Amino acid sequence: MKAPNPDTLKAVKDIQRPVITFAVARAEGSPTAYFGCSDFKVYAGDPTAAKFEPKELYAHESYVTGVALAGTTLVSGGYDGKLTWFDTKAGKTIRTHDAHAKWIRKVIASPDGKLFASVADDMACKLWDAATGKLVHELRGHAEKTPNDFVSMLYAVAFSADSKLIATGDKVGHVVVWDAATGKQLGAVEAPVMYTWDKVQRLHSIGGVRSVAFSPDGKALAVGGMGKVGNIDHLEGKARVEVFDWKAGKQTAEFPGDKFSGLVNRLAWAPDGSWLVGAGGAGEGFLLFFDPAAKKTLKQEKVMMHVHDFAMSAKADEIVCVGHNRITVHKLG
Amino acid sequence: MPRSTFCRSADHALDRRAFLGAGAGAALAANMTALNALAAPDVNGALKKAQKRVILLWLAGGASQLETWDPKPGASTGGPFRSIQTDVPGLRISELMPKMATRIGKTTAVIRGLNTKNGDHGSGAKVMMRGRRDESGLRYPDLGAVVAREMARADSKVPDYVTFYTQTEGRSFAPGDSGFLGARFAPMELTTNNYPEFIKKLDGITDLDHQERGELRELVGKTFEKGRSSETMNSHNEAYQRVRGIMASEKLFDVTQEPEKVRARYGKTQFAEQALIARRLVEAGVPFVRVARAWWDSHGQNFETHQEMVPELDHVMATLLDDLGERGLLDDVMVVTLAEFGRTPGINASLGRDHFASAWSCTISGAGVKRGAVYGKSDALGNKVVAEEMDAGSLFATIYTALGLDPNKNYHVGSRPIPLVNPGIEPVKALVK
Repeated sequence: MKAPNPDTLKAVKDIQRPVITFAVARAEGSPTAYFGCSDFKVYAGDPTAAKFEPKELYAHESYVTGVALAGTTLVSGGYDGKLTWFDTKAGKTIRTHDAHAKWIRKVIASPDGKLFASVADDMACKLWDAATGKLVHELRGHAEKTPNDFVSMLYAVAFSADSKLIATGDKVGHVVVWDAATGKQLGAVEAPVMYTWDKVQRLHSIGGVRSVAFSPDGKALAVGGMGKVGNIDHLEGKARVEVFDWKAGKQTAEFPGDKFSGLVNRLAWAPDGSWLVGAGGAGEGFLLFFDPAAKKTLKQEKVMMHVHDFAMSAKADEIVCVGHNRITVHKLG
Repeated sequence: MPRSTFCRSADHALDRRAFLGAGAGAALAANMTALNALAAPDVNGALKKAQKRVILLWLAGGASQLETWDPKPGASTGGPFRSIQTDVPGLRISELMPKMATRIGKTTAVIRGLNTKNGDHGSGAKVMMRGRRDESGLRYPDLGAVVAREMARADSKVPDYVTFYTQTEGRSFAPGDSGFLGARFAPMELTTNNYPEFIKKLDGITDLDHQERGELRELVGKTFEKGRSSETMNSHNEAYQRVRGIMASEKLFDVTQEPEKVRARYGKTQFAEQALIARRLVEAGVPFVRVARAWWDSHGQNFETHQEMVPELDHVMATLLDDLGERGLLDDVMVVTLAEFGRTPGINASLGRDHFASAWSCTISGAGVKRGAVYGKSDALGNKVVAEEMDAGSLFATIYTALGLDPNKNYHVGSRPIPLVNPGIEPVKALVK
């Protein structure tokens, strides 16, 4: 099925929120989306409804930065290091456990619904059996310290469309591809431009790989973040995306950004692989569409918030963006 | 007896005091010699025997009070970090500071009610280094210069005021400044590395050469002095003596002189090594050392920045206090954490916090501070001080008092008495032992 043309993108809803929403998950075919927020709570609601009326489900003990759905099971993770399993049908919490020693940055579900993956600043990616909640693999291939002896962070994780591959990306730009079944490392690529270490002016760092996404065939891996930053007090680096042939360890396309500054926090491919969309921001946000094969930027759309995450429908005809004090809905096609 | 001048020319029959008196900036240029003449000889004599010293950990750019000393977990402004209980009942600080959480009761007073009304880097830094705003035509000395002035030993062979500021950002906002106290109490500024290269003896000169050159200079100087009376000559000789003393102290700056286990204990970051050198310096009698750790100005990614930098501060501060305590120095050495301001409770779209001087925090450890004291309270969101507010002046009055100095003590610039803090400002007695 041919993906809709990015030129048809239009904003159809803009919802103001009193909180920052860091994560969104939405089951295909369902109007209900689940949101992880800065008030430590997880909400459910339909952002396309005439009136958005989010319902509070439960709370973590810090920012909720990951939500993922496998069937009717919702798993959320937060900066409290905990994963909470919630039965959306019964409306009940199944279990909560201390999953990571440090902040959980992202939680995702495999497309086949069999696994959840969580990444955290303890630099581990953990794979969980979606049915039982048991730990299946603990993937460790990211250094705990940066080369400058400060703590590193593990921000990004993605499954391939066939659920067989996992990619993880960290603060210094190291990206690892794993075999989901065995937990073995299959390859690695580097995106060092996305990490800025300021040794002279400010003696700390900013940036990191904030998003990864496999192409539908699993051969290409897109990596998102921000280019080199002059003044690391601000997110002033250009929004940056690189695409790799991960098996060969080679970069195949580079989108260094020109219009927008800030972090690319989320990436997704069109189901036919014809384009790649990235979202993120700094003071304000963006949706960026690329053609990796032609190495062309197709569309750059301003969004009235720093976008932290989005949920895209299977046909790529609807994108629900969440971020700083807003939720937006865009349509394509 | 006619006054002796250098060249015996009537045209040059102008003494130094008259020269200073002639210029418009004369009073401001009063130097150490003049101040010595005006200060009572017994002032602080007893204190100098005890010789309090200060290490200022200058958190340049403005560390967030919410991610350090005054967390608001669960508030909309609180951010993602949790608070942890300290060894002081009822006092919780950020989870990023687990080491300090176990040491506050024995070492540190926490001030949570600073309202310094200046959210600008440059002028805010000046206020927080001096305790007040300069007046038109009057440049106040900063904390380091005052402590150097009050605590330096007359026979000291070490520098009186050393400041490390290696990062470039913000360095020009807060240079060490001795103001009207003059060059005698100006800081030795280390900006490029931890070692003051300029005090090294030139490689081409042997120790014997160096000594003989000094002796020759003294011989010539004494011959020249015969029959002459000049404050400039005295000051010149004093300066030479001090330079030779400081050259002899070069090893104090050499961190490799410390046992490896001590270096490992502090850590190998630049901030850690400079804190260790600061300990070496105060142990040797240097009255004031500032270790500037830049740059905390987290307009974007505040939580990431503090996740990176606060654990380092926690470790270095805790190690420094432990080390001072184990060496029996904590009653005489004060450690202050301070910045030009704190950060906004509001979280901006870049997940940053901006400049904020209305309700922020600092700490004072050691010396005459009441350990475990908590002073000041901000409201539930951290937007304003609701109890026990302090400004820069009362903070400085408290620091001076905890060092055994009378904040109302006067210097004289010309005939004008200038107290250590502006008139009417009182120290917070609850913070002083």
